[in-house]
Amino acid sequence: MDAPAPSEGVCFHEAAVVVPPDPGAVPGSAEARERTILHPCTLTLRERRVAVIGANGSGKSTLLRLINGLSRPSAGAVTVHGLDTVRDVHAVRRRVGFLFTDPLAQLIMPIVVEDVELSLKATHRERAARRQAALEALARFGLEHLAARSVYDLSGGERQLVALVSVLAAGQQVLVADEPTTLLDLRNTAKLRRVFEGLPQQVIYATHDLDFAAEADRVLVVDEGRIVFDGEARAAIDAYRRLALGGGT
Amino acid sequence: MRGHVYQLGLLIPGASPIHRAPLWLKYAALSALCITVLVERTAWIAAGALATTVLLFALAGRRVLALWPRPFRSLGWLFALLAAHQWWLNGFDTAVGVVGGMVACLQAARLVLLTTPQSELLDGLVRVARPLRWVRCDPETFALTIAVMLRSIPAVAGSIRDVSDAAAARGLRPNPALLAGPVVVATVDFAHRTGDALAARGVMDQSEFR
Ligand SMILES: Nc1ncnc2c1ncn2[C@@H]1O[C@H](COP(=O)(O)OP(=O)(O)OP(=O)(O)O)[C@@H](O)[C@H]1O
Ligand SMILES: [Mg+2]
Repeated sequence: MDAPAPSEGVCFHEAAVVVPPDPGAVPGSAEARERTILHPCTLTLRERRVAVIGANGSGKSTLLRLINGLSRPSAGAVTVHGLDTVRDVHAVRRRVGFLFTDPLAQLIMPIVVEDVELSLKATHRERAARRQAALEALARFGLEHLAARSVYDLSGGERQLVALVSVLAAGQQVLVADEPTTLLDLRNTAKLRRVFEGLPQQVIYATHDLDFAAEADRVLVVDEGRIVFDGEARAAIDAYRRLALGGGT
Repeated sequence: MRGHVYQLGLLIPGASPIHRAPLWLKYAALSALCITVLVERTAWIAAGALATTVLLFALAGRRVLALWPRPFRSLGWLFALLAAHQWWLNGFDTAVGVVGGMVACLQAARLVLLTTPQSELLDGLVRVARPLRWVRCDPETFALTIAVMLRSIPAVAGSIRDVSDAAAARGLRPNPALLAGPVVVATVDFAHRTGDALAARGVMDQSEFR
């Protein structure tokens, strides 16, 4: 494979996702047919902050999951820094961290520092060094005081921040986040947004929070598996409002 | 699935002699205690073993000691039933010997879990599982599998509670036939999400680094 080039950003080349018919569906119903949940799209994302907005079921998660190879495109290709998300999936995942909506779905080990260490297993073979690196990763976000705590005893906001540390611990250069604030209260949402603002990584996130989306440098509006608007935040949010509340684009 | 707070024996951090003891010593002491109560099933041995566990819990600190009675809350009726059964079959001495011994083993195992970080337990497992390399199985993957399995126990227990709550909220009386379907679906969903989480973090790709 060619040397990865961060300047190439995240690219979709006619990437589409088609799901096979549901074998148990009633013949003739929508589920009994092959369904395109993402129509072929071509994009290059180089902006530091990219938001994806759209209705429930419009295809935001589908789009995001393509970026680190959690889903494969049925047609076309997706590349990150020139690396193909199917062929070079391991290399891609070392560059792209993926943050879920529910941090509990993401945290594997019961103690905070152990969970961060899990992400570092591949890069730090030696135990003491791994522990040290995990503590440093927590300290970068001011979370060192949580190191010995159980992930089950943390508040939702703390959990989401710990998940973020775990996801970025191995030095990932791109963060993909699927509705990271949906389960958080107002205060924790504000906190996570501030943390996102300070991240040196490129961040691509889906959200239903339009204020959060407004902070992005570029916003994609997704509707029924198509990118129907792509551009500056204000205009994108207006387009989404018109779309959602009637009146057409 | 919501956040489910309870866990199997979860670490209570501390710096007591019990916390600092090496893992092999903990396992050796645990085995010695279990073998003793299994071989000598008398009331005195069981009582001694139980007293030893109380002492060791106390040595591990006040927060750990406070957790000693915990299993009786959920399993007390089971112990009582077993004791009654043994008493009726084999007399008082054996009943105390068998049930007391069983509780002592359980408590000793809990103490190991309460005073050892899971990562250390898993590293111990990796060492023990090293011979698995001969059959081309990666010991790290094996230990991770155990970690994921342990993590799924509270999750599945939690989904049973969620589904019963959902049934109760509609005025249905929860029964096994009603719960089975939704719980299986929730469990499969949990397994999918765990798989996604492991894949997303690149955790399963480690072997290519060696
Ligand atoms: N594996 C799959 N098999 C079949 N259909 C799927 C699959 N994954 C997603 N879908 C369908 O694709 C569509 C888009 O789903 P997606 O999860 O991307 O939406 P979303 O925009 O993230 O929605 P939300 O805001 O609710 O999270 C939905 O109609 C969903 O039912
Ligand atoms: Mg979604």
